[in-house]
Amino acid sequence: MITIDLNGQQQPLPPDSTVSDLLAAIGSDGKSVAVVVNEQIIRPENRPSHLLQAGDRVELLIFAGGG
Amino acid sequence: MDSLQIGSYTFSSRLILGTGKFSNSTVMLEAVRASGTQLVTVALRRFNREQAEDDLFGPLSAIEGITLMPNTSGASTAAEAVRAAHIARELSGSPFIKVEIHPNPQHLMPDPIETYEACRILAQEGFLVMPYIAADPVLAKRLEEVGCASVMPLGSAIGSGQGLATSEMLNIIIRESGIPVIVDAGLRSPSEAAHAMEMGCEAVLVNSAVAAASNPPAMAEAFAEAVAAGRKGFRAGLMQKSGSAVATSPLTSFLGTC
Repeated sequence: MITIDLNGQQQPLPPDSTVSDLLAAIGSDGKSVAVVVNEQIIRPENRPSHLLQAGDRVELLIFAGGG
Repeated sequence: MDSLQIGSYTFSSRLILGTGKFSNSTVMLEAVRASGTQLVTVALRRFNREQAEDDLFGPLSAIEGITLMPNTSGASTAAEAVRAAHIARELSGSPFIKVEIHPNPQHLMPDPIETYEACRILAQEGFLVMPYIAADPVLAKRLEEVGCASVMPLGSAIGSGQGLATSEMLNIIIRESGIPVIVDAGLRSPSEAAHAMEMGCEAVLVNSAVAAASNPPAMAEAFAEAVAAGRKGFRAGLMQKSGSAVATSPLTSFLGTC
């Protein structure tokens, strides 16, 4: 297993996991989630091929209520 | 047709609604529908699998005719706001961005220097930039010059319900502005929204006044009617004020008088 930083918390992942694998593992269809890996936005078309590395800082963001 | 034009977008509603502080998303969505709004603000937050119901993208997108305007709330610098705007655009597919940079949670007053810098960058990148600002006519003009789509000066502090405390400065901003002026923050009652529209604002943005009402959907509808009435009043042309009484009935040739 490798460990990434997911929204500020340690998250174990199998080696060779992609961004799409991560989204599936946490139960998100990815449609309404923005993915940022090491401050780079990963667009939906690139998620199936973007491999996550140990130590990557991953931010998953959604739209919540705000004024 | 009297419509609000921002960039290439045309809105028949001049009420912009915020989606924060509602007791739950069902009430918020009812208020959005009742308001007839076509532009709603949302905030970026970290995904939390235990609070999946917080995700508003799907439910809001399902309402016909709604455009999302993400805000940069949480940013305390221009760089953070620009980064948030890039992420928000990926999610929303909308060019609208409400630039909101308030570093001090005690008063939530917007940082004019960081706001200006973020707006300058984002306007160059093609965003429809809608900055939340203090009611400062000089800053408003500078933001117009760097390509903002509107300016959104505060009526009073966010969530305070103090109404149009800045009305004298708002009048100057409206008089000088070549882009839509939208009062954002501080309104409490529909009559204040009507007043802002009568002054010549192109739209108003409310959140707390609706979210914290006893009946948010009913208050949303009341604000929509007030905004429409205020706009009609503005377009109809308000009479001039007079320092003394001006009779509406004849004062001569009455009964036995000459």
